[in-house]
Amino acid sequence: MESRPLMVLRLVTSAIEEVGSTPRGGLSIFPVIGGSFEGARLRGKVLAGGGDWVTANTDGTFVLDLRVTLETDDGALIHMAFTGIRDDVNHYLRTLPRFETAAPKYAFLNRLLAVGIGEIQPDGPVHVTEEIL
Amino acid sequence: MNTRLLMMLSVKVAPAQNIGAVPLGTRRTVPLSGGTFEGPRLRGSVLPSGGADWLLLRADGVLELDLRATLRTDDGALISLRSFGLRHGPPEVIAAIGRGEAVDPATYYFRTWPRFETAYPAYAFLNRLIAVASGDRRADGPVYTIYEVL
Repeated sequence: MESRPLMVLRLVTSAIEEVGSTPRGGLSIFPVIGGSFEGARLRGKVLAGGGDWVTANTDGTFVLDLRVTLETDDGALIHMAFTGIRDDVNHYLRTLPRFETAAPKYAFLNRLLAVGIGEIQPDGPVHVTEEIL
Repeated sequence: MNTRLLMMLSVKVAPAQNIGAVPLGTRRTVPLSGGTFEGPRLRGSVLPSGGADWLLLRADGVLELDLRATLRTDDGALISLRSFGLRHGPPEVIAAIGRGEAVDPATYYFRTWPRFETAYPAYAFLNRLIAVASGDRRADGPVYTIYEVL
């Protein structure tokens, strides 16, 4: 499957909110308080106010459910959301990001599917995101 | 991005149900009438009732796809498939697809994100993977080439 780089997204998170055991599994919320993104076609910062709602599956994997707002360096706002799977045993963290924007310059984001390869680094999660061609 | 082939999924469809103009766009539901899938690690059929593709044509001309189907492997396991996708392209290509003509899939964008759920241990690996697919809308239904994201 062909793809090309879209952006590298670096998230800054604050203290985890452990909601605990819910009917669907253990829920942990990772609030996003900032961050940055950079790619050949867009770059900017991550606004505070989003988060990643992480549910623990009974098989030891986690389901990710992230929502953040991106602000490009030229002032456009982009809604970004992804679902994903984190499997720590197999060092597998992959996401399916979607974007919505009203800015004509970035309307190409409304029309693409992407895949993210995530990694939890000491200063926060990093998601290398590629457009599926 | 490294991927490997998971399966080719060929879906047969019944006549569409045209719901029409809804607040989010133009909605059309296409029930599934069966199909087959085959890959190196699994193969079987698409159950002929209960699944559909819920299509929404957006104001920007992009068609959003929301497919749900149940797969049954040749050794009897049931696998739930849910797949979100996007389809768009030049107006003449989209019109030709609408007329049921054979269209080169390279001339338009038809990509989906299949997600799988199963309770069968032999196929539990499907619960743990992210996949992407490339679609080819043929007259009798779409054919998806589904890849596991490694």
